[in-house]
Amino acid sequence: MSAPVSPMRHVLVTGHKTYHQITEDLISPTEKTPPLAWVIGFIISATLLGVFVFTVGWTIYMGTGTWNLNRTIGWGWDITNFVWWVGIGHAGTLISAILLIFRQKWRTGVNRAAEAMTIFAVICAGQFPLIHMGRIWMAFFIFPYVNTRGPLWPNFNSPLLWDVFAISTYFTVSLLFWYTGLVPDFATVRDRAKGLRKKIYNFLSFGWTGSAKHWQRWESLSLILAGLSTPLVLSVHTIVSFDFATSIIPGWHTTIFPPYFVAGAIFSGFAMVQTLMLVTRKLLKLEDYITIEHIESMNKVILLTGTIVGVAYITELFIAWYSGYVYEQYAFFNRVFGPYWWSYFGMMFCNVLSPQLYWKKSWRRNLKLTFFLSIVINIGMWFERFVIIATTLARDYIPSSWSYYSPSWVEIGIFIGSIGLFFTCYLIFSRVAPVVAVAEIKSILKTSGDQYVGKNAIHHHDHGGKHEEVEASH
Amino acid sequence: MDKMQNNNIWVGIKDLEQDPSFIEESGLETSLIEQIADSKNEEVFASNRRDFLKFLGFGLGAATIAAGCDIPVKRALPYVIKPDTIVPGIANYYASSYIDGGEFASILVKTRDGRPIKIEGNDLAPSGWGTTSARVQASVISLYDTNRLTGPQKSEAGNLSLTTWKDLDTKVKSALATASGIRILQISNTSPTAKKAQAEFIAKYPSAKVVNVDHSNYSGILDANLADFGSRMIPSYHFDKAEVIVSFDADFLGTWVMPTKFASDYAQMRKITDLSKAKMSRHIQVEAGMSLSGSNADNRILVKPSEQGVAVGHLYNLIVGGGAPVTGLNDKAKASLAKVASQLKNASGKSIVVSGSNIPAEQQMVNAINNTLGNYGTTIDTSNAILTKQGSEKDFDALLNEMKSGAVDVLIIDGANPVYSHAKGLQFAEALKKVKTKVAFGLSKDETNILCDFIATKPHFLESWGDAQPTSTTLSLVQPTIAPLFNSRQVESSYLTWSESPSTDIFEYIKATWAETAFKAQTDFATVDAFWDNALQLGVMSTIGGAAASFGGGTIDFSAVTKVSNAPLEISFKESISLGNGQYATNPWLQEMPNPIDRTSWGNYLAVPVNFDGDSSMVGLNGLKDGDLAKLTINGKEFTVPVIQQFGQMPGTVSINLGYGRTEAGACGTGLGISLIPFLTDNNGYAQNFSSKVQVSNKIGKEEEFSCVQYHHTYGVKGKDNDTGQMINADEAATVFFDYFTGIKGFQGSLTDRSVMYTSNLADIKANAAELDKKRKHAQYLNSKQIYGGHDDLYNNGHHWGMHIDLNACIGCGACTVACMSENNVPIVGKKEVSRHHEMTWLRIDRYYYGDVENPNTVYQPMMCQHCDNAPCENVCPVNATNHSSEGLNQMTYNRCIGTRYCANNCPYKVRRFNWFDYTTADSFPANQYKKFGEELTFGAENLTRMVLNPDVTVRSKGVIEKCSFCVQRIQEGKLTAKKEQRVLRDSDVKTACQTSCPTGAITFGDSNNKEGALHAKLELPLNFISLEEINVRSSVNYTMKVNNRDKSLDA
Repeated sequence: MSAPVSPMRHVLVTGHKTYHQITEDLISPTEKTPPLAWVIGFIISATLLGVFVFTVGWTIYMGTGTWNLNRTIGWGWDITNFVWWVGIGHAGTLISAILLIFRQKWRTGVNRAAEAMTIFAVICAGQFPLIHMGRIWMAFFIFPYVNTRGPLWPNFNSPLLWDVFAISTYFTVSLLFWYTGLVPDFATVRDRAKGLRKKIYNFLSFGWTGSAKHWQRWESLSLILAGLSTPLVLSVHTIVSFDFATSIIPGWHTTIFPPYFVAGAIFSGFAMVQTLMLVTRKLLKLEDYITIEHIESMNKVILLTGTIVGVAYITELFIAWYSGYVYEQYAFFNRVFGPYWWSYFGMMFCNVLSPQLYWKKSWRRNLKLTFFLSIVINIGMWFERFVIIATTLARDYIPSSWSYYSPSWVEIGIFIGSIGLFFTCYLIFSRVAPVVAVAEIKSILKTSGDQYVGKNAIHHHDHGGKHEEVEASH
Repeated sequence: MDKMQNNNIWVGIKDLEQDPSFIEESGLETSLIEQIADSKNEEVFASNRRDFLKFLGFGLGAATIAAGCDIPVKRALPYVIKPDTIVPGIANYYASSYIDGGEFASILVKTRDGRPIKIEGNDLAPSGWGTTSARVQASVISLYDTNRLTGPQKSEAGNLSLTTWKDLDTKVKSALATASGIRILQISNTSPTAKKAQAEFIAKYPSAKVVNVDHSNYSGILDANLADFGSRMIPSYHFDKAEVIVSFDADFLGTWVMPTKFASDYAQMRKITDLSKAKMSRHIQVEAGMSLSGSNADNRILVKPSEQGVAVGHLYNLIVGGGAPVTGLNDKAKASLAKVASQLKNASGKSIVVSGSNIPAEQQMVNAINNTLGNYGTTIDTSNAILTKQGSEKDFDALLNEMKSGAVDVLIIDGANPVYSHAKGLQFAEALKKVKTKVAFGLSKDETNILCDFIATKPHFLESWGDAQPTSTTLSLVQPTIAPLFNSRQVESSYLTWSESPSTDIFEYIKATWAETAFKAQTDFATVDAFWDNALQLGVMSTIGGAAASFGGGTIDFSAVTKVSNAPLEISFKESISLGNGQYATNPWLQEMPNPIDRTSWGNYLAVPVNFDGDSSMVGLNGLKDGDLAKLTINGKEFTVPVIQQFGQMPGTVSINLGYGRTEAGACGTGLGISLIPFLTDNNGYAQNFSSKVQVSNKIGKEEEFSCVQYHHTYGVKGKDNDTGQMINADEAATVFFDYFTGIKGFQGSLTDRSVMYTSNLADIKANAAELDKKRKHAQYLNSKQIYGGHDDLYNNGHHWGMHIDLNACIGCGACTVACMSENNVPIVGKKEVSRHHEMTWLRIDRYYYGDVENPNTVYQPMMCQHCDNAPCENVCPVNATNHSSEGLNQMTYNRCIGTRYCANNCPYKVRRFNWFDYTTADSFPANQYKKFGEELTFGAENLTRMVLNPDVTVRSKGVIEKCSFCVQRIQEGKLTAKKEQRVLRDSDVKTACQTSCPTGAITFGDSNNKEGALHAKLELPLNFISLEEINVRSSVNYTMKVNNRDKSLDA
């Protein structure tokens, strides 16, 4: 991988950074008193987390009837939130694993935060299958544990059981991957720390010394985990989509769901990364590491996946018509023109139309627009799941049972609370670990730093830098 | 309530305790009770679950000891099924009669461990009498009504408090002794024994007179028959012999006279078993609002309530000829009735004309029409008169005047609640103040008896001895199935006590009555005891035939016929199918049961006419939509009422159910809806169920708790498109909420092409049957292409349970829904929960309108778990909580269920129900059980109410899914029966609760592999279909295509 430095390369680190400066910039946020914005953000997040705890507790104590679900619509905001959070959790693995394998260097600026986001999003997602259960205290029934009731196993035919395995595997691998990346950075933090803090980070970094053998093992493990994660990117949301696709309900029973869900997940995941990165780079002053190049690259992915999702929506409609099957036809007709027309309209607008703005390069590089659209897209992707789940259930085969659903305060509280859970985790993370992978940024400095490439590059031949780059990429 | 729960849960014991002779005999009770109870805390002497069996054992033991010592053999009640001692876990059935407010059914009471828990129809009863309605099915829970009075009450300064019988008797007797005017106001009572006791009372107090009233007024027809036949009775109608049925606003399938019996007969003429000879009666209903009968009718002729009289008159002129006024009848009805007249003439002697009118002149015209058609003696039988309705409004008015003038010293009220249920209720309440002593017999407080001086608490009919003579040739017995729960005394005993009769023992008294009358009229039994035992076992018997009354043709006072109003809007007040005229408002099952027509519960809703706007919506009167609130002004009085769009409601009319707005009806009936009884109008002393002084406002708000279980009412009704003038599928157009300016008017075929159910007109039956066959063949072809082998090998062997439902027999009455609640411990969830679509009914009756949007036909489709052999719910459950038995049952394992609700989502029939809250207090979090959402206690959480639970069926806890089990407990029982008798199981061994409750025999359950069984025969019928067959879930329930015999020429 010792490609020569091409003048055509994009600049991915600006500000003529030295290695020391990189360490200073990226490690120091964990060492300083948090800025006021962080404190305010944390208070808000923790409050919302409190809302989450309360509303979940209320649900469990009083019963699922505190939600506005009914005999017709058995899933509503709960599973919508679940799929939404799982989808958001997709970008991390994609950036870490697939982009690593493809040697996309721009991933280094955002992979740490994206992976953290994945972990936290999956934590949020994992709450919902549990709390939507009528009897959460019996949730352990879903695990295939050895028992004396026959033995009685879970139903391996059920997509919900597949979910259990898919999500837990994904979470485990993502966590390992993330943590593996953190090990050398924790060592860097340790090296600058004193006292108890030093001991803690020493423990967290597993006694990393930075020896060549460590780096070699670290690289190997990263690659292995990347190899393991790659299929997971596709499998997790594929299996989540099976919750619907393997059912018999028109509007759910659709073979297009796996690719459509995966594309949608990447779409929403990248949008969430954009949201977080734009805030993080501003707050932690990381503009030199998370550059416009990064933003633009991610916007390209958003444009691509958004368009894929749009094609999927149109395909669904076409297939429904082409099927000649009245229930299928009506399910989609009802999605578009029925009582939930506003959610379908919202979904189409947010997910299909709004990303089309990114065909224009200057708009792809516009931070304010990017931030705004990232929010819009996440709303749109939430709508997509709501459209699929609630509108489908509301009007299926038997007209007598058609119903309508809007959430209760408890459901809204749980959703907003889950955002609190997410941001509480993320804000704590931003204080205890470098939000940009220090070691990985250093590894691309000589190939993507602005003093080396791009129009501002200092034109001198730095052979040493080249050698370092060769080393780092091993 | 707490006190009662703590002390009186097994009140039978307490009752026994208070019996002085019993205490003398045994002298052990108190100490024994203490010994057997788990609860040592004497202050809180609560029964718990463990105590129950102990109490039970003790109760039985005590009863045995008591019986052995002194108390005569009367407590060793004869059995219908198993003449042996009570075996724990085995149900006993007692033949009895349901008599309540002029209604009658011959029943079997299922008792388990000494508790009545279910009512079944009595198979031994003459045809149609042993069938049940929702009201009959629900009557068992009223036994355990927590609002029942626990003992005799006396009033002090307007407050009722407990007293003793001795005190009550002393005071009442002294009042009677000095009284110069004694009146008894009662709901028509057909009991020979009660009449005899009353006669003794009247002999003792000669100033006593009896005034009969009915919950709904039948004075008009009774007085008309008195004029025409010389006898104040209602003849028996044989709808099973009628080829043409014309009903003028008589809801004979829902509420009129003897609906259950009529429905049973009616259905005989509606079933189609042979395509080549397909034949059914034609039923024409003349009405404004949709009634249960109207919804089952083939044709509905729309006339305003005030046009009813002239509509009858028009038919009278056409058939009998001459004289009747017809001014104001709308032209369309006129033309239609002319065609009806010719059809009636063609079916002379094979037709029935009935009217719900409460005006003698109109009823006399109907009599004359029937007479001219030769229906008396063929379809209408005057020799077997129905005696359950004897009320006289004239007598009531006379009583009211006497009361006002102070001529009544003692008023005894039995069953009647005129303060609520009579149009002159307020006057009555006022006049009551002038009566010196008011004594009421009552189960619980109502609007009238709280104004009385004494309430002589009476036992529930399931705790009583009694008899009845519902028709002139039918005698029936009532026997107690449980010791009285409270300190109550039978009405007959009270009369005997007050008249100081030597015999106050009601059992001996009834037996003696029967020995004198029925015993002497028969020859089968030589001794009274043998006769009596047999009569008790049968429950009901036919006496020798009565004499036919001949039509005398009294003069008809045509001037009394209702004048047609020219008011722009008229309102009709309809008796509620579940609550009657409010007498059943205390019954939570009847409150929870959705009204068959508008599918609402827990309140009354103003039914407004609805029409298609020619574009994309169904527009109700004044733009009102389902669940809107409107201001209803009647006679200047304003109400805020929730509205429901009623298809088939005549434009220019609205209607609303009576029976709501009670102010003293216990926890579940008080304050629900509004009462309109004060607005009944008057025609020469006959109350009329309509008013022309009515206005309805535009929408003024939204009903917060719109407890309607079905939001979509139609199945492809057709209406005219404004743009093209073509008839389009209005229903589908109205499912569009926003067309994005595309002008799209629905997706044509999206509702009509559904395979949920099929309908046909009788004339097109062959073509439609062929079409259905083609569809089914295609579906079966597609299903055969599946790549999975399936488990048919397994299901083709041994038992395979299945069901057949004849949609042509189903009239939608809802008896099955209540029977299912009763059998399967289905929780009652209350108004708010129903409004959130959290109802728990395992069996619902879907109601769809189809055909012409302005005057549609109706189909009822009972829908429960279809026990699919390819059940989509089963493979999605992550924990295997629902799975398939080798006998084709889709089973729920509640203990395993974790409540993901995926099965409910994936059920194409949407029959799975989730326990959103701890409706039954079966949950592990006791704190959930109280004061949830403002309710004191969830219905069915009271210990007393819980006595109605069926011990064979698990009570489900919060967070689990439940659904129809095909009454698996009955299947197991049937299998045991067959095994014990060492024979093969027959279909007759297992009957589901819905099947036995159905008055029309629409439901057949059985083993589809049993080639000799009843089910197998039904599965061979033409017109059968499986709902949603093409999705290959392999449902085990077959339906028949709904056929109507609509005469399209009547619509022209």
